[in-house]
Amino acid sequence: MEIFAALASVLIDPIILMWVLAAAVVGMVVGAIPGLTASAAIAMLLPVTFYMQPLAALAFLYVIGKSGRYGGSIAAILFNTPGTAASAATQIDGYPLSRRGMSTKAMKVATLSSIIGDYVGEILLIAGVGIIAAIALKLGPPELFAVYFAAFVVIGSVIGKSITRGLASAALGVLIKMVGLDPISFEERFTFGSFDLTNGISLVPLMIGIFVLGEVFSQLEARGKPIAPVDAPDSEDTRAMNRLTWAEYKPCVPHVIRSSFIGSFIGMLPGLGSAIAAFVAYGEGKRRARNPQEWGKGALEGIAAPEAANNAVSGPSMAPLLTLGIPGSTIGAILVGVFLIHGIQVGPTLFLTQKELVYQLFACGLVGIAAYGLIGYFGASFVGRFILKIPTDVLYPVIFLTSFIAAYSARGNLFDVIVMVVAGFGGWLMKRYDFNPAAFVISFVLAGGAEETFRQSLLLSDHGVLIFVTRPVALAFLILGVVAVAARARTLGKQAKQASLNDA
Amino acid sequence: MNRRHFIQLATLTSAGFALSGTCAFADWKVRRPVNIILPYKAGGGTDSYARAVASAGDGLFPVPFVVVNKPGSSGMVGATEAARGRPDGTTVLLTSAGSFLLTSMLRDTDVTPLESFRIVAQIGKLTTSLMVPYDSPYQSLDDLVADIKARPGQVRWAHTGNGGFHNVAGQGFLDSNDLDAVGVPFKGGSATRAAVIGEQVSFGMIGIQQAAGFEEQLRPLALNSDTRDTFMTDVPTFAEAGYDAVDVSSPIIVFAPKDTPDDVVAALEAALKEITSSQAFIDAMAERGNAPVYLPGAEAEANLRAMKENAGPIISALK
Repeated sequence: MEIFAALASVLIDPIILMWVLAAAVVGMVVGAIPGLTASAAIAMLLPVTFYMQPLAALAFLYVIGKSGRYGGSIAAILFNTPGTAASAATQIDGYPLSRRGMSTKAMKVATLSSIIGDYVGEILLIAGVGIIAAIALKLGPPELFAVYFAAFVVIGSVIGKSITRGLASAALGVLIKMVGLDPISFEERFTFGSFDLTNGISLVPLMIGIFVLGEVFSQLEARGKPIAPVDAPDSEDTRAMNRLTWAEYKPCVPHVIRSSFIGSFIGMLPGLGSAIAAFVAYGEGKRRARNPQEWGKGALEGIAAPEAANNAVSGPSMAPLLTLGIPGSTIGAILVGVFLIHGIQVGPTLFLTQKELVYQLFACGLVGIAAYGLIGYFGASFVGRFILKIPTDVLYPVIFLTSFIAAYSARGNLFDVIVMVVAGFGGWLMKRYDFNPAAFVISFVLAGGAEETFRQSLLLSDHGVLIFVTRPVALAFLILGVVAVAARARTLGKQAKQASLNDA
Repeated sequence: MNRRHFIQLATLTSAGFALSGTCAFADWKVRRPVNIILPYKAGGGTDSYARAVASAGDGLFPVPFVVVNKPGSSGMVGATEAARGRPDGTTVLLTSAGSFLLTSMLRDTDVTPLESFRIVAQIGKLTTSLMVPYDSPYQSLDDLVADIKARPGQVRWAHTGNGGFHNVAGQGFLDSNDLDAVGVPFKGGSATRAAVIGEQVSFGMIGIQQAAGFEEQLRPLALNSDTRDTFMTDVPTFAEAGYDAVDVSSPIIVFAPKDTPDDVVAALEAALKEITSSQAFIDAMAERGNAPVYLPGAEAEANLRAMKENAGPIISALK
């Protein structure tokens, strides 16, 4: 077993260990800062790694990706603003808990679930990298479209209080995504003759605007009004309330296991990524939960499910990347660049020529998970309490400034800053009028890939849309989507009936 | 005394270096770093050229070369920014000129390679090739052509996006041999390669260097060039396989904004000639299956104009 040899060689190398540890801390802090995503941080740190040894460079960025996905949950729980797109699902239940003064408990659940999800993903990767690659290769545009379709439907079922407003938010996300060049014919759409718009709207500034700047505007509006204390004083009571017992975590375990496998599966499909995994896991979790009425109001399971899924993506997404050179996520796309810069050709021969390096990278992943897990379990509440102790008069202006820097630094483009400011006002208005910013962003993320794979499928097909029926894997996902809609409609019907009974 | 002697010696040798061959750029007094604008993300194929130029060119001027990635809108974001840059040699654009030319033709962009820029020099060349999955029934180009003729409009092929040089080269091959097949665009080289390996399509047009390491997944059947590849020497050209093709490739060219003065362009041209012949640059390129192809600005420009002529009819058909 190569992995044990690799693990041993990593554990006795203090320099590699130092980089892994640094990555765990950097990723967590960056993830916890609202608006700074792990992929933005990796893009910024990329030039530094040109001067490092290949293993150190790869391990550093790989572990930042892992701990950044986890760190995003801290911001989601504390500020109701996801640190990364992947933790947008975590805020649905995380923020209500922190309003009740149980932020530390929420973060502990997030940490445990992230670690378990990450380990499941990493072990599946190590055990089945070859098989995963073979499966991923056989999935063409029709299968990927069917997965997008299922994701759309499942996400539709977790849309907030008002279904029509949720759907309107999702439709708006699709509309905004249409701006730019048509992915197939390269015709301009909704660009109004503006050159900057031909590139479309980028995700990072849009997300920072909607979630971060929108939140700052809401806070600005709330100034003068008495602020509801989110953090209770540090007394014996709150400490007891924030202690996590096995009895409390036990109901989360089935959700964590299911979500870990959902995340691992979505991770090995190129281009879907951890945000989609988190939402699919949340939707599936809520559908199967014994207490669905508590989800969205602060259920611990509602934190465990998406957090396990978004971290489980990390490992398996490396399989198509390493064996086929297809990145499964934005972080993966950057990692391809690192391999190439160090003169390592990514592809099937990588396992022949650089086997040792690949397994050492996996070993660094295993060590990294433990590192951010330990720091997070004992330190996240400290980081959180520290951020909460900062007066809002200081905190929000700093966040305001950071969001401008983050929006600009992703591509070094001033137009992105304009996008962010406009999105900020949009996000504030959406929140004010009960539209759903999360549904908006997720449908924005899904729409591009869904359109591309749909149109590729039609070009590949001799019989139009029948290609989705004749390919068994595609058909299976379409059926899954339809069943999810039907199940959702049934529960909604039941709830409506119960409501009318209660009224009577 | 020893020290003085050493300094004298050092001055003499460095003066000697300056006289031998480097005189063309020795008198260009540059004070700010030379920004190489690269209109793609870090880590891509063109990016590796820019990084190799920057590291091999270190020390030629008193200032460093800095690679600035400005991705977006299929390379047009960076090109537009470079065209607006200060025309004093401190802003240059390094890009895949075939893609830049074809994109500007397909989309009628404001910034174009021949009108908005001066061409400094060509430093490399990307060549596309026709590849099939390893287990494909087609053993030669003849087999493929026979199948496309037997099933007109039913064979599917993959390329890296409409209007890209892979697309134009593939369509050019089909058109000049009266063949009818359906092109399916995928996003970039690695996704296209994966579509071919996964047998989603019958064949694909992919850069020849992308086959490195995939010898057991892919078989290149023909190369779209007039000479064989430096590394993959057993792949015949289209002409050798007995078929017509359109000469479309993507030279890697360094551009300078239109108003850059002659002496500055000449200094940069001389520097690039020196860089591309250096061992460090050759080694960096060989790791990726590429070879440096240096051409002076005037020749590179003539080739680009010829390619514009060749691609014209295919581009109007794609619009």
